Amino acid sequence: MKAFFSRLFQFSAIYTCFLSLLWLAKYGMGLSDYLIPSPVEFLNTIQEDGLDYVAYSLNTLSVAVLGHIISILLAGSISILGSLKSTIGTVTRVAAYNLQAYPIVAVSPIIFIFLGDGLASRLLIAAMICYFPLLLSLLGIFSQPVEDVEHFFVETGKIHHRLKLTIRLFENLKKLLTVLTGSATLAMVGTIVAEFLAATAGIGHAIKIALYQDNLARILLALLLIGICSSVYLAAIEILGEVVSRNLQKD
Amino acid sequence: MRIISLIFCIFCIIVSFSGCTSDEKTARPKVEVQPVVLRLKWLVNVSAAGEIWALKHHIFEANGLHVELKEGGLEHNAIKDLELGRAQFGVASADQVIRAVEKGADIVVLAQIFQKNPLKWAYDASKLHIQGPQDLKGLTVGITYGGNDEAVFRALMAKYGLSKEDIRLYAVRQDYTPFWNGEAQLWPVYSNVEGLVLAQKMQEHGKRLSFFDPDAFGVHLVANSLITSRRIYEAQPELVQNFTKALLQGWSQVIEPQNELEAAQAVHEFDNSLDIKLIRQQLAATRELVTTDTLPIGTIDKAAWKESEEIMLQQGLISKPVGIEGVLKDSLR
Repeated sequence: MKAFFSRLFQFSAIYTCFLSLLWLAKYGMGLSDYLIPSPVEFLNTIQEDGLDYVAYSLNTLSVAVLGHIISILLAGSISILGSLKSTIGTVTRVAAYNLQAYPIVAVSPIIFIFLGDGLASRLLIAAMICYFPLLLSLLGIFSQPVEDVEHFFVETGKIHHRLKLTIRLFENLKKLLTVLTGSATLAMVGTIVAEFLAATAGIGHAIKIALYQDNLARILLALLLIGICSSVYLAAIEILGEVVSRNLQKD
Repeated sequence: MRIISLIFCIFCIIVSFSGCTSDEKTARPKVEVQPVVLRLKWLVNVSAAGEIWALKHHIFEANGLHVELKEGGLEHNAIKDLELGRAQFGVASADQVIRAVEKGADIVVLAQIFQKNPLKWAYDASKLHIQGPQDLKGLTVGITYGGNDEAVFRALMAKYGLSKEDIRLYAVRQDYTPFWNGEAQLWPVYSNVEGLVLAQKMQEHGKRLSFFDPDAFGVHLVANSLITSRRIYEAQPELVQNFTKALLQGWSQVIEPQNELEAAQAVHEFDNSLDIKLIRQQLAATRELVTTDTLPIGTIDKAAWKESEEIMLQQGLISKPVGIEGVLKDSLR
């Protein structure tokens, strides 16, 4: 629970500073409510659109969680394939790096042609955006030998590829959990990008509408909710990671 | 030795000529030009043909202005730039102006560039026959949620008693795939720009494009208009007059049929993604939007602005009337 409150407190502090600076600039420079909404307008927006926006954010969060799980599976599979020293491994590594080199806005029309603008596209784009840091870390972990431990199995002739991967995964568990937590933020960002490009649901879609309507108050509300959702999700992963690592160490 | 003398002679000639030019330059009276930034509503294309023409033919300079054209977009809004002092003039549509005025933006409208709104809905005329709004029943129509096309289409639906059960609305995105696939039978386009690009592509595929025009059925939402801040309007009337005059002169000349080829070439220099032939077609279509039979170019259609305000009120896009008449300043008349 401490992790939840700590994350939420950190976000609240940053968001409050951001809003204060924004309003300081607004009143200092004498800018209209059109450019930067007043605190009263912001509060009115929370009152009028708050519930809808909470629903949009939860929708986005649920897709982000699913997308994150897919990206972990994707990165895990590709990095296991990529850790092989055969041609398959080399081809997989090259394909994985190349795929990431293309900006998602350029690839998205192809995704939308085949998958439409529903849930599947949002999931795939979210997974594509957050899988690369995971992939890099996993490739690093899987291809870096843990000499102290592996040496024993090499000498006894019991070493095989699966055992090597298990040793490396276990020895780098903390590093892996940090990367997983970091990529969770990207999963949220990826889902919002997908919704912004083409979707009829989620907070990204709501942000696009607010942008068309020059409604910064709604965008500020969206940022608040995105921050809360991200903080909660990150805290959840951290807690889960701690539980898993504690159980593994017990065993 | 002879070569050295020859080089020396050439050097002397160059120096003496450059000296003459320099003297001539200093002798010529310096014309003071005022730097001005114009933020467009969208990308530089045929909808900014008048601005491009005025720039190319030094009409702005003749009026003592050095104008820099800047592209607009979702994040580059002319009204915001005016308030932040990053631009002196801008192009915006009625929905943008009305929304901004409601929230306290102090801006004025100087001229209305488009007398008719180019926003129309494209459809395949080889499959559909749409005579009026009632023919839209049972069809799927693309709209940009939050965009001005949503306001226009919902106003049309309200005016002709069409409900959600009659028409299925489809969320528009940047590519035309849903339109090509037939998922949406009507797709919003700017008829003078992407409408004609789409028409060309459809023709190549044996289809025939036609437009459904809400304007023809009494739904008027004013499009591209010239705006400035009230601060500039009041403090620098001469600048405002000169700029408006130069811009409208640019538009008057660019839509002349005899200037079409030259105008297309000028637009092509800014947007070379389209061929000159297509830009000429776009210019012809733009001519229909800019001119009327009776009114001079740039005339502000006050009734249409009031109707735009009413549409936005009905659609809940503004919470109260903004008194749009107070913002309309026909600075040249």
